[in-house]
Amino acid sequence: MKRAYFDCRASWPSYARRDQATEPPLTRQSDPAGRGAQARPGVLVLDGIAKRYGTTVALRRVNLRLDAGRVHALLGENGAGKSTLVRIVVGAAAPDEGEMRLGGAALRLGSARDGIAAGIVPVYQHLSLFPHLTVRENLSAFAYGRTGPLALRPPLVAAETARRWLDAVGLDRDLATPVERLSVGERQLVEIARAIGQDCRVLLLDEPTAALSDRERDRLFLAVRRLCERGTAILFISHKLDEIDTVADDLTVLRDGESVIEGVGRETVGRADLVRAMLGTAVNTGAHALGTPGPLMLCARSLRVAPSDPPTNIAVRRGEVLGLAGLVGSGALRIAEALSGLRPVASGSVEIDGAALLPGDRRHAVRLGIGLIPADRSTDGLFAVRSASDNVSASALSLLSRAGLLRGRAERNMVAPWLQRLGLNPPEPERRAASFSGGNQQKLLVARNLLVPGLRALVALEPTRGVDIAARRLIHEALAEAASAGVAIVLASTDLDEVEALSHRILVVDAGRVVADLPRGAGHPALLAAMGGGGARAA
Amino acid sequence: MRALRRLAGAVPPSAPVALAIFLLFALVVPRFATAGNLENVLRIASILAIASCGQAIVLVLGGVEFSFGASAALSSVLAVSALPDVGPVGALAIGVATVAVIGTVNGWLVSRFDLPPFLVTLGALMIASGLAASLAGGLPIDAPPSAAFAWLARGRVAGIPVPIVAAVLVLFGTHVLLRHTRIGRIWCLVGANPVAARLSGLPTRSAVVAGYGTAGLLVGLAAAILTSRVASGQPGLAPNLAFETIAACAIGGIPLAGGQGRAANVLFGVAVIAMLNNAVVLLNLPVAYQQIAIAVVILAAVLLQRDGWPGGLWTRFGRKGARS
Repeated sequence: MKRAYFDCRASWPSYARRDQATEPPLTRQSDPAGRGAQARPGVLVLDGIAKRYGTTVALRRVNLRLDAGRVHALLGENGAGKSTLVRIVVGAAAPDEGEMRLGGAALRLGSARDGIAAGIVPVYQHLSLFPHLTVRENLSAFAYGRTGPLALRPPLVAAETARRWLDAVGLDRDLATPVERLSVGERQLVEIARAIGQDCRVLLLDEPTAALSDRERDRLFLAVRRLCERGTAILFISHKLDEIDTVADDLTVLRDGESVIEGVGRETVGRADLVRAMLGTAVNTGAHALGTPGPLMLCARSLRVAPSDPPTNIAVRRGEVLGLAGLVGSGALRIAEALSGLRPVASGSVEIDGAALLPGDRRHAVRLGIGLIPADRSTDGLFAVRSASDNVSASALSLLSRAGLLRGRAERNMVAPWLQRLGLNPPEPERRAASFSGGNQQKLLVARNLLVPGLRALVALEPTRGVDIAARRLIHEALAEAASAGVAIVLASTDLDEVEALSHRILVVDAGRVVADLPRGAGHPALLAAMGGGGARAA
Repeated sequence: MRALRRLAGAVPPSAPVALAIFLLFALVVPRFATAGNLENVLRIASILAIASCGQAIVLVLGGVEFSFGASAALSSVLAVSALPDVGPVGALAIGVATVAVIGTVNGWLVSRFDLPPFLVTLGALMIASGLAASLAGGLPIDAPPSAAFAWLARGRVAGIPVPIVAAVLVLFGTHVLLRHTRIGRIWCLVGANPVAARLSGLPTRSAVVAGYGTAGLLVGLAAAILTSRVASGQPGLAPNLAFETIAACAIGGIPLAGGQGRAANVLFGVAVIAMLNNAVVLLNLPVAYQQIAIAVVILAAVLLQRDGWPGGLWTRFGRKGARS
């Protein structure tokens, strides 16, 4: 099903064109804006790029061609080599083989700063703005990279120039606003505006929508389009195929360090072919079979998380997967956090199997058998410097120790089947967690929480954010299996497909209140209608 | 086979460095590789080793302890003052308990109020050294001669000096604590990511208090041995102890960022420092060179060990690195 991402499509002929399924695939020649004329030499061309780290081959042979005024999507699973390629494109790493050309001239980058100077500007998932400085100061930040260390502070960009850059991305905020007061989406627009000021020739967007609401995402895509019209080449990296369909002109797919699809038009590849190219095999991304829920397990009685929230009652049964959906700031996330014992509550109670939870006390919650997969993997979940095995066994140390001593063999025996079950790749439990890809790190957190002794309920917040399709499927299967085994699961996710695929029923939250209780199979339109925001997205 | 692999994994990168320094000094420095000198090196190193085990625990927790030197001084003053009333065993127990209590309080302040360990232990340093100076009136208090009191520093067990025996036991105990106990694993996890540890339901606060307390206990033991050796209550007993222990841990390869560290790191870090100090003395170089040499070795060790062995310098030239 096609979702309505944009309200502004009427004023946007090139986008509206996309939804006409009858259009033949070779429309690029008749492109009214003249974007992507096939004969034009690419702005940035990578030819036969290879990169090794020690004995690990990250990239075998990759070709990539970015054209002026076109959005080029880069797809691939975690570990396919996307991040390495990005590092090479921005100058943070040098290729072992192959050559790069920018505007026809050979390009050698010694650092990311060289890249920016050459007009290749990255916008990362983790924002690279200075939160305490104002919008205008941030827009001026690149100037510092060009001055000597003892030079006077370069002057700020002129107010009207800065204004023009912001207008180009459609951001209407006061230049004197500190960046920390902007939303994540607005910050991203500031980064893009800064790239515009840099006269960037290539803009790199690395999973830019991971933390955005739908409205913010639409704004971002609009800004991307405007930038295209100025002739910038854009490299767009995302796991979300819907977004690729919406925004990309061309696409390249990496698998095992090779470009298996090289710069073809987006229209020429079907969704199934795309997925197959990424995985090497066809996969089923549809709904999961779910068991029948049993008696009541986890419930919230007259729960008010924030003092201003209305009292809420929620009941999750044994073996039931309850989806929580709602707009950003709707309170879906904080209700889920309160159910897991992470967040203190204003009033009301949370009970599991009749026992009351001490609010805000995760230790007590774990003792009562409530697992929690936190939304932010790296800050709240991962023990980055510890081994995969340590990461998994952390929740079960009490089971694994006798008289205070850890039983090493018991630990290995407990952890190994789960890592195998979730397909940890590479399958090395003693490897440091930080060295795994994002999807595999997420598997460690899932395994840790499925191992909570006497697990009775599991609260999963964004369990597959930034995770590739194969890992996502394995994680979904593991959650569905846990539910079948009688665990009550609360799933709060911004990914509506995920909520729909896994949940027995979906509660829609707005202003801290449950506004709808939808059964399985209610479908996207009903869900979106209940959330009240046409094209809006869950939180 | 697995045992062999695990053994290989347990040898820190600082081990070959220590071995190389040993061989170099044995060849170059006169009288270095004699039994008498090596026993002397070990005897001096044992005190640093015991205290460094304490620092290692705090570093693993993601903290740092600056108060060791001052609390050791206070411990020595209190122990010697109490000696006439409570006897040698009681006095040494008081000495150990003093540092343990200071450590526990530090841990409580750090975990209960979420204060930076840097500031808490710096405060403890100032308070303890102020107390030690005021109690002693600025001058060392001489201990009445007592064979039992001196045994801790000068006695032998089965022919081996007591401090060396104590250091071996403490190193082994620390190894077991950090690698094979539940509390040790929790220390590692808290040091690696305190938020994740809390969300995983681990008792993070009590673990931090226990960690700083255990560290204090070990440093208390080191202070008791020192006090016994100097046979007096010294308000300036070991002013640089905290920094020497941090240096030993850093050279041994314990990252100051927390979450990692083993007793083996302490062992080889201390060995490097002790051999350097000893060589400077044997070569009749000015003592100031000791400090400079140690500073250079710390920087070199940290650079070499970044990202593991063969690590750091190699990574910088792009031969190795994390695939992302």
